[in-house]
Amino acid sequence: MTFSGVSWDVFRVSAEVTGLATVLCVVVGIPLAWRIARSRPATASILSSFAMLPLVLPPTAIGYYVLYGLGRQSAFGRFLGDDLGVRLVFTWPGAAIAAAIVSLPLVVRTAQAGFEQIDPDLLAVAHTMSSPRRVFWRVAVPLAWPSLAAAAVIGFARNLGEFGATIIVASNIPGETRTIPAAIYDATQAGNPALANTLAALTLLIGVLLLSILAWLLHRMPRTRRT
Amino acid sequence: MSLNALISRRLRDFALSVEVHADRGELVALFGHSGSGKSMTLRCIAGLERPDAGRVELNGRAVFDADGRVNVAPHLRNIGLVVQQYALFPHLTAAENIAYSLVGWSRAARAQRVEELLSLLSLGGLGGRWPRQLSGGQQQRVALARALARPVDALLLDEPFSALDETLRGDLRAELLRLRRDLEVPVIFVTHDLREAHLLGDRIAVLDAGRVLQFARREEVFLRPRSRRVAELTGVRNIFEGRVGDDGCVRVRGLSLRVDAAGPHGASVDLAIRAERCNLRRLDPEAPLPENCFVANVVGDLAFGNTHSLRLDPEGAGPSVEIEVASRPYEVLGVATRRRWVVELPPADLHVMMRE
Repeated sequence: MTFSGVSWDVFRVSAEVTGLATVLCVVVGIPLAWRIARSRPATASILSSFAMLPLVLPPTAIGYYVLYGLGRQSAFGRFLGDDLGVRLVFTWPGAAIAAAIVSLPLVVRTAQAGFEQIDPDLLAVAHTMSSPRRVFWRVAVPLAWPSLAAAAVIGFARNLGEFGATIIVASNIPGETRTIPAAIYDATQAGNPALANTLAALTLLIGVLLLSILAWLLHRMPRTRRT
Repeated sequence: MSLNALISRRLRDFALSVEVHADRGELVALFGHSGSGKSMTLRCIAGLERPDAGRVELNGRAVFDADGRVNVAPHLRNIGLVVQQYALFPHLTAAENIAYSLVGWSRAARAQRVEELLSLLSLGGLGGRWPRQLSGGQQQRVALARALARPVDALLLDEPFSALDETLRGDLRAELLRLRRDLEVPVIFVTHDLREAHLLGDRIAVLDAGRVLQFARREEVFLRPRSRRVAELTGVRNIFEGRVGDDGCVRVRGLSLRVDAAGPHGASVDLAIRAERCNLRRLDPEAPLPENCFVANVVGDLAFGNTHSLRLDPEGAGPSVEIEVASRPYEVLGVATRRRWVVELPPADLHVMMRE
């Protein structure tokens, strides 16, 4: 394995995209999962199918919708650009938004499973004593935290590997929006197997590390649930 | 202080339609089999479930009113709730569990309140324990303390003792009776245990398939059930079909039984008498049978340790009866030594119910 020709910029860009995307999918996904876990079956299934939608779409299709939504073709995109002066298309934050949408279903599913394991009686009693906000922060989150952490790790891993949606929204600009997966694609297309090999090996290393963290979190789960 | 609840709600198997009332310092038992709608009633009062129609009033303030579109959030109703499996927060210590509802209290006030409750419920020194380090009885005491920590206007208990073993259950029942005097709030508790309902309930609401069949003082419910179904649910083992005769007696299977109040002549009635209220007498072949007596043979004898449950079939006229005899009189009378007995059904203990 050789490190010559590896542009370390791709790691910075990947870290930025993955970091922001993980924050986004956790901030949206965990409250959404709580909502689904606590809703009546009818409401829950509507919310749930909405949250699962990205799972059945090809990432490139999601990328296309995000590109359209954030770009000048849409009213929202024009509002962002003309009135707020925010440009997201072809930037790494735009890529992060696209990646967050792709990983949302995984985050929601994992967090929801954690919330659903909490004894309903516990939540019922908590609801008679404190506001829903306090029940969420003081009871639901602490009791489900291994699942929530696992949700974040899974989201992080998915965001790190995202290629289709991000490349459509943010393209593949070296030093700006070229992530590790995009760089691997580039290297293979350019006939540089050595570089592709190095980058792939590094992602393998990160992947093993993430899976170890995940295994440890999942192992913790039953222990905190015991009363 | 008082609690009024009128609740209608569609359930899967039946429609819940319940009206209960509890005054300050009063213990009201919601008694019924599992699936009769007791817990759902409690959850509706607490605001955890939304009734389809009705009204829930606490101290004259409506916390739910389907017509007035009032639906106060559970945590704003000031109602304490205790459930069967304790439901303590496993990630908080006993003291933290108790302090959970004390939002906005100063640290000192909170600590003082927790200490008060720990000593009130004989939990002194256990505040720092985790729920998993406490016994079932201790956990339920913590749950009770937690429900009472903030000033509440009512206390709801959902099968609070049924997960405990018999001795602990007795202790906690005594505790609740003691607490009730100091609490001065209406208490509603749900139970499927007949003895518990009788021991703790000042008044008892008998629930069956979502409807309150009878809501009255406990003696009333136990001695004068309003219908055959209430009698069955409250453990009356002897219910006979009969007809009121012109002499004011009730005819049951050829036997004429004198009762205190029979009802109109010719009416179809059910006669109820509890197994422990029937008397067993030695047969005296010389003397004529006294009033409300008939000869019967023992056909079954179940020993329950401190009591015996006897099944007797009549020799001639009269119904088949179940009689409960305590072990001591069982031995003194020598019930096991002979088969033929005289069964007496005292008029004061025979309760007449009109058939629908």
